[in-house]
Amino acid sequence: MGIDISIVEKETGVYLIALKGEINTQTYQALEDKARPTTVKAKAVVFDMAQVNYISSMGLSAIFRIKLAVEEHSGTIALVNMQPKVQLVFDTMKILSPQIFASMEEADDFLDRFLDGVQTGQISPKNLPGKTK
Amino acid sequence: MGSFVLSKIFPSDLNKIPPFIENIAKKVLSLTGSDNDAFKVKLVLEEAMTNAMRHGNLLNPKLKVFVKISVGKKKIMLQIRDQGKGFNFHKVPDPTNKKRAQQPCGRGIFLMRKFMDEVTFSGKGNKLRLIKKININPA
Ligand SMILES: Nc1ncnc2c1ncn2[C@@H]1O[C@H](COP(=O)(O)OP(=O)(O)OP(=O)(O)O)[C@@H](O)[C@H]1O
Ligand SMILES: [Mg+2]
Repeated sequence: MGIDISIVEKETGVYLIALKGEINTQTYQALEDKARPTTVKAKAVVFDMAQVNYISSMGLSAIFRIKLAVEEHSGTIALVNMQPKVQLVFDTMKILSPQIFASMEEADDFLDRFLDGVQTGQISPKNLPGKTK
Repeated sequence: MGSFVLSKIFPSDLNKIPPFIENIAKKVLSLTGSDNDAFKVKLVLEEAMTNAMRHGNLLNPKLKVFVKISVGKKKIMLQIRDQGKGFNFHKVPDPTNKKRAQQPCGRGIFLMRKFMDEVTFSGKGNKLRLIKKININPA
């Protein structure tokens, strides 16, 4: 019922946060606290949601606050491998669909285009690259 | 196993919520065989109890949250009451409109409305009744 959080730097400034368990009233604060040192400097944060089996509105708030912190310095976030019930919560709220991906390859592709676009000044957190598929 | 009624009184302590809703979700799953129903009931209970403790009782541990769960053959009813001041439940903004879609908060009541068949606030807004139609496993 708790949450396991592992954070690795995949490449400079790109962090993978792998979560396991539930993002709920009891765990969302731990997620925000653990993520904070990376989100203040990240160019991109990827959440691996494969082992997340539950998210409530408090969990959505935590993801949004992390997203806003990363966007502060022109970074972005992506979410991958969501379980269907967790996906249902995001779909119901109609949120973050341009940043939700079925596989790590698709997320990597998005982030490559995002980071390239930021360098050339054409892309920003408010003007994301589209999905290729 | 069949229908049941369960009443419980909670202090305003958010840590009491997850074990309770987990247990209810298990009961709903074994009664209905529906993973989805169990997930939705668990989620709306978390939303309702969190709102009651946080916004209603302002996390004052002396104030209580009263929860009653009634499961019949065709529906499950969740009643949640807090001891707070209530609120204007007719004026909850839609979190999916453009202006609000990027806000971190304000999604709990919307999720309740989407995942339940009936959502009714009453009194000053400190009483909430949620109903979901279910099919109890014949087995
Ligand atoms: N029991 C309650 N007592 C007093 N006010 C309430 C109660 N329940 C909800 N509210 C009010 O309604 C608003 C909307 O509630 P809702 O659950 O949709 O969003 P939230 O709790 O603010 O954020 P989130 O649920 O996304 O974490 C709350 O911000 C609060 O002002
Ligand atoms: Mg809420």
